[in-house]
Amino acid sequence: MISAFSILFASALLSLLFHRTIWLKPFTLIALVIGMCLSGTAIGISGFETSQATSLFEFILQWVLFALVLHDKNETSITQILFIGAASIALLQSSTLISFVISFEALSIISMVLVSQIRTPDQAEGAIKMFIAGAISTGILLLGTAFYLMGGGMLDKAIDIHADGFASMGIVIMLFGVFYKLTIVPMHGWAMDTYTLIRHSHAGLLTGVAKTVVAVATFKIFSGFLAVQIEMGILLLAFLSVLTMTLGNFLALFQTQISRILAYSSIAHAGYILLAFVGVKSSYASTGLLYMAIAYIFMQTAVFLLLDTLAHRYNIKSLDDLNGLGKANRVLAFFFTVQLFSLAGIPLLAGFLAKAVVFYAVVDAGLWYIVLIALLNSALSVGYYAWIIKHIYFDKPSTLFAQEQTDKHKTGKYANEKLSILSQSMLLLGTVFFGIFASLVFSVI
Amino acid sequence: MNPVLMIVAPIVLSGVLALFLKKDTPIIKYIALGFFSFMLLFSIKLLSSLPKVGYLDLAKMLTVEKWDFVLSLQVDHLSVIMLILTSVLLILVTLSSWTMKGSVGYFSLLIFFAGPISGVFMSTNFLWFFIFWELTLVPMFFLVGIWGAEGRIYASIKFFLYTHVASMFILLAFFLIYKETGTFDMTLVKESMLASPVLIWWLLFIGFAVKMPIFPFHTWLPDAHVQAPAPISVLLAGVLLKMGAYAMIRMVVLLLPQQTEAFSWVILTLGLITLFYAGFMALYETHLKKMVAYSSISHMGLVTVAIGTASYAGLSAGVYEMIGHALIISPLFLIAGFLHQRTGSWYIKDMGGLMQKAPYLSTIFVLAGLAALGLPATMGFVAELSILIASIERFGMGMILIALGSMIGAGYIIWTFRRVIYAEQSTLIEKSDFKMHRIEFLALLLFALGIVVFGLFPSLLFDTINTAFVALSTAGGIG
Repeated sequence: MISAFSILFASALLSLLFHRTIWLKPFTLIALVIGMCLSGTAIGISGFETSQATSLFEFILQWVLFALVLHDKNETSITQILFIGAASIALLQSSTLISFVISFEALSIISMVLVSQIRTPDQAEGAIKMFIAGAISTGILLLGTAFYLMGGGMLDKAIDIHADGFASMGIVIMLFGVFYKLTIVPMHGWAMDTYTLIRHSHAGLLTGVAKTVVAVATFKIFSGFLAVQIEMGILLLAFLSVLTMTLGNFLALFQTQISRILAYSSIAHAGYILLAFVGVKSSYASTGLLYMAIAYIFMQTAVFLLLDTLAHRYNIKSLDDLNGLGKANRVLAFFFTVQLFSLAGIPLLAGFLAKAVVFYAVVDAGLWYIVLIALLNSALSVGYYAWIIKHIYFDKPSTLFAQEQTDKHKTGKYANEKLSILSQSMLLLGTVFFGIFASLVFSVI
Repeated sequence: MNPVLMIVAPIVLSGVLALFLKKDTPIIKYIALGFFSFMLLFSIKLLSSLPKVGYLDLAKMLTVEKWDFVLSLQVDHLSVIMLILTSVLLILVTLSSWTMKGSVGYFSLLIFFAGPISGVFMSTNFLWFFIFWELTLVPMFFLVGIWGAEGRIYASIKFFLYTHVASMFILLAFFLIYKETGTFDMTLVKESMLASPVLIWWLLFIGFAVKMPIFPFHTWLPDAHVQAPAPISVLLAGVLLKMGAYAMIRMVVLLLPQQTEAFSWVILTLGLITLFYAGFMALYETHLKKMVAYSSISHMGLVTVAIGTASYAGLSAGVYEMIGHALIISPLFLIAGFLHQRTGSWYIKDMGGLMQKAPYLSTIFVLAGLAALGLPATMGFVAELSILIASIERFGMGMILIALGSMIGAGYIIWTFRRVIYAEQSTLIEKSDFKMHRIEFLALLLFALGIVVFGLFPSLLFDTINTAFVALSTAGGIG
């Protein structure tokens, strides 16, 4: 049966034939365009259902994957990108517990394959940490399903919203297994190192794409149960969410490496995503989560890809290396600034509206004081985003760029990165579009 | 013409200009000047087409039914007055930064700024208001951070963070309003519809108090004012602070009149503290631009007191003082910035004997200074007198205290004259060159002209301002 899933899955297998040829990228891009046209088609197996929301998100997912494939020097990851796309679509569409667990596992296993492209000891460390955390997460998830089964739940049906006893305990355990992947504090330890140490474009794929997909799918599966039974856990969830964003933001303030700042910012955003679970009783929660996921997938992927480009071209690692980027490379500096503003929640960009909807959902659920903490956190995060921008525009140029200037003088032209700029433009378009036109997201739910 | 263009055009235009113009192309100044003049014409045309009472609908688009997230643009007299003030100041700022370096970036940011600031004054949807409110920070952040003086980085980040944190209170208040009334439309929300007006009042008050700024939330301002380039200080004092005062009038006083009545002592006390504290700080300051900055804060204290009266006369006087403050404090900032640029010193003690070296500049400095201390026949006098009368009417004779505040003003300003204009000539002044670019001097002259003309004929402004509040009071605002 022809569906976005089957197209991506088949092209992932076929892409192996094109390795090390110039046909690989065009082939993948065509497959993704077909996938985009087909987004919203059901996989065709029982246990997987589509809705308007998943269709929209599938489209956006493939749009972002398209940008990821376009990104320069990314050829060795293309097969994994396609596999991740296929697994993500399956995860998004899964409507029963068993399909959720299986797609979730598929996604984690492919992520592990992705990070195991090891070139340096650092990358090995990141990959191993992720592997172990993934194994623990899987273990806990399976433990949860075992409890759920023991309590009389059925795996091949949608989750029982009135589950009690062992079954509800099982659901809670499963949620905590998923929280490992969502990097909720205190299950965040691995994420820090993994996102920092592995290749930045891979980190973009993991934190930008995989994490959001898991968040959306988890909300789809568990929100019914949480909305009915939230009383017992709402304060715990709120506490975890506040803890996650506060810790993420505070630790980000003290970092000197850009990749570490972005990794902590990713953890802080997990806190905002979890807020949608806190406000699950509100009718705005599902819109909020979808909006957050959409904004996050664009901006987080974009910043990590930018960092990848910057690291390859200028060997930028620490904040001081960024000094004077605004003069040396106006275009990349512009992209970086806009996406950072979006992460910081500055209006007319998707990041602001996403936070606004999620926070409103929590106000709507009656927890305005939690929102006050979250808002102050979001304002605090401006501290480190603006600090990066300060390095880009306000400081005197660093020696890295002076070197670049002389190189440019020698060869007479910039290094070629047109495709990366095209991919950044695609992501920027998403960030700006969803920052202004909110009706699309509100109309699908 | 579609009024949405007033917001969209500058944002798009500035992006295009920044990307495609070569560095330091002089044409960008003329583009900026042309755009701001056009903005002025547009706002004057709006003024003439306003209805006597209530709002003029301009546009309604980007509707999200489920969340009442609509870009609805409506204006009344108050917002059009602010629009005119903003566009006049933008023109004068453009003139006074005629010799600015790195002009393409600078003027594109200035043009960008025109977009969100028009949005703030035109939008009547809380969420869109907030979006534009926050967006004004971005160009200001870059303008202070890139073109500022030595401490620019600290000042710009502090400015950005401080005001952004304050905005979060505002956003929470808007959320609570929506939760309790089901609408983000500020023309439809009434105080009686709210379940927790006290909380909302405090959130809004603190949020706007930071922008105004009111003691103890003012600490970002001296830094930002001093480190910003002089024309941007003008923009900060003339537009950004006015944005806070405008929002305070519209969303605190007029939207929540009963709470404002109940907490008017808070506004009054903080306003008086701001007036005196900033006045004494100015008296103590040896840094010329910081002295002007504190004098600016002190005047905003007066505006706060006027807003605290929540009466028809008080609000009119407050708006008059807002305009007066913009015209009076701007030349002082420009001259302080110019002196620093030419002498390299910030300190009053290095500036002695300016009169002999630069008589025209000194004359304007004296004129603006006298207006700041409230000399009759200048705007300052009319503004301070009307605030004094309005607050005595509202709070009783004790408010004669305000006149005392003006006396402190007289103290630091006359003392500054003595030390800067008429003192013995310092070596620094003697060896510096004070030839000003003609167009920049023109801007100073225009400010001076405004101070005198509106001081002699206050009815020119008061007629329009009064209409604003007559209209607002009959539309169900204050009684």
